[in-house]
Amino acid sequence: MAVITHTPSGNVEVKKPRSNSTLLRVSRYVTRRLLVLGVTVVVGVYLTIMIANMGGHVDTIMRNEIADRITQSIAANPAMQQMAPEVRRTLIQERIAAEEKRLGLDTPLAIRSFRYLSNALTLRLGRAINMTSDAGSKQVRLILLERLPATLLLMGVSQLFLFFSSVFLALNLSRHYGNFWDKAVVALSPTSAVPPWFYGIFMILIFAGIFKILPFGGMVDSPPPSNPVDYALNVLKHMLLPAFSLVLSSFFLSIYNYRTFFLIYSSEDYVEMAKAKGLPPGDVERNYILRPTLPTIITNFAFLLIGLWTGATITETVFLWPGLGRTLYHAIGLYDIPVIVGSTIINAYLLAMTVFLLDFIYALVDPRVKVGGN
Amino acid sequence: MNMPPRKLLQIEKLVLHFKTSHGVVQAVDSVNFELDTNRAVVILGESGCGKSSLAKAMLRLLPRNVDKYGGSVYLNGEDVMMYDEDEFRRNVRWVGMSLVPQAAMNSLNPVIRVGDQVAEPAMVHLGIRKTEAMTLVRRMFQHVGVPEDFISRYPFELSGGMRQRVALAMALVTSPSLILLDEPTSALDLLTQANIMNVLKRIKHELGTSFILITHDIATSSELADEVAVMYAGQIVEVGHAKDFFPAPLHPYAQMLMASVPRLRSESDPMFITGQPPSLIDLPEGCRFAARCPFRFEKCNEEPPMLGKNGRKVKCWLYE
Repeated sequence: MAVITHTPSGNVEVKKPRSNSTLLRVSRYVTRRLLVLGVTVVVGVYLTIMIANMGGHVDTIMRNEIADRITQSIAANPAMQQMAPEVRRTLIQERIAAEEKRLGLDTPLAIRSFRYLSNALTLRLGRAINMTSDAGSKQVRLILLERLPATLLLMGVSQLFLFFSSVFLALNLSRHYGNFWDKAVVALSPTSAVPPWFYGIFMILIFAGIFKILPFGGMVDSPPPSNPVDYALNVLKHMLLPAFSLVLSSFFLSIYNYRTFFLIYSSEDYVEMAKAKGLPPGDVERNYILRPTLPTIITNFAFLLIGLWTGATITETVFLWPGLGRTLYHAIGLYDIPVIVGSTIINAYLLAMTVFLLDFIYALVDPRVKVGGN
Repeated sequence: MNMPPRKLLQIEKLVLHFKTSHGVVQAVDSVNFELDTNRAVVILGESGCGKSSLAKAMLRLLPRNVDKYGGSVYLNGEDVMMYDEDEFRRNVRWVGMSLVPQAAMNSLNPVIRVGDQVAEPAMVHLGIRKTEAMTLVRRMFQHVGVPEDFISRYPFELSGGMRQRVALAMALVTSPSLILLDEPTSALDLLTQANIMNVLKRIKHELGTSFILITHDIATSSELADEVAVMYAGQIVEVGHAKDFFPAPLHPYAQMLMASVPRLRSESDPMFITGQPPSLIDLPEGCRFAARCPFRFEKCNEEPPMLGKNGRKVKCWLYE
């Protein structure tokens, strides 16, 4: 029931009683949202499975490979060279059938793909076909977990540095529109057209090849230093070039983006009003530029965090960095489908969770946004 | 060289030019006027004549493309144009004069509660705590007719009229002696306009505030005006007391402006002024209104000075 009250000024205000349907609205929204995200994840992962299997072409490759391997091993076995050709052919057929059965190739991909899907969705990542972890395990979970710290270290350091430095510097530049540094950043922003691994190759050439002051690649010397402090310093030394390449290739464009973004928002009427009110410049920046733009900045930050998981495939490969990106690159080369799918499903879940949480974060930082509102 | 003026506000040769790709826009070109305590001056003019730029020039709210900014603004006898950026912020903005903006709709931060936004200048300039500032905000809300519980609302939860009242409360909260109102009612319906004008009249009476009301709305502004200044093409062309001006404006432009107002109980049709105001980039020599003036004669090719006539001032050769 709406209650109409007359305010002192004679204006009519319609007041709604505090709605007890908030819980209902939010829970209805959460259900619908989770459902949509769930379907998205399922479809995405299924497509990944089909693509990783090249729509069934990988089966043919594997069948040929099995046939080759078994024919050759039997042909090379002196004990079997005495057999009659028919017997030997039957034996080959039987062994091929057994191997195909072992790998599940006897059931068509259309059926197997759903088994893969349900395994992936329940995070039973299974065993790799060819790859092993450094510790010798074929468990996909262990392969991925072993590589995760290296990727988190490299990507975490470079991406977090990139994010905070570009937001801070961009805010500074937007205050001094058109000065020397501002023009310099605008002029240098095309440097981001070049990918990080390309800078990486030059960095290796200059600092490892010519000056010989930094290592060519890897994460730590072999054998690694036993003292933990030396170990950390050694890793830092190895990380310098890849991290620098990753930062450099996005640095100027990222500053340029945020600077333009802040420039647009600092010409809002309410920013001018804040200046007219005589608020100190720091207050204007914090409450009138950063706060209204917080949803966008948080979104960028959240996607950056997800990006850490996938790693930088080619840059890690160029620098022989033992991270997830390089593992994924290997897995694609080896048609190691369980590893590809395992890496993808975790990324898909992280993405879906982030998107889901962002809706609630928006509602927290922006009063105009209401969870499940119209 | 001259005695410090005693007036509340005295503006001398205020200039604000902008640089654009088409040329220099002479938005405010050597504007002079003065104002006493507890008086209201209305600055009348068409859109694009430099009214809003005048307000910006007085508060030093300059865009990035300023070409020329100069002159003197004496506030209580002190030339505030001499202040550096920080002194200006501390001593002029919201202390000497505050502003009610044209579009209160966009002038409030969408993510901060209106009470907090009104309290901010009080906390910064009066150096008071938040709780004290909030008490002050409640009192200001009462003055302008905003219900007290609106303090914890966000701007998007208020109507246009309420937002304009909040903007007014914000301008009043530090009790400055002068408030600049930049078309405060032009986005509102007639009833709300009348409401706000009544609030302004009451505030002027109760708090002794002076107003500079910038508007193109002659009918509404005549309610509040003690004095009138007519602006045309970046210059002030006529200044006088409201009681003299409204019945018989002197400048041909002011006369035609008044004749363009529709009247309820009169047979005469509203007139319109032929032609367009000159571009502020490419201004004509001599009198800037000459091209549209029915009374023009040879002398109009020279720029007329501000001529005095019975305590009124007009920038027109007809009154030489």
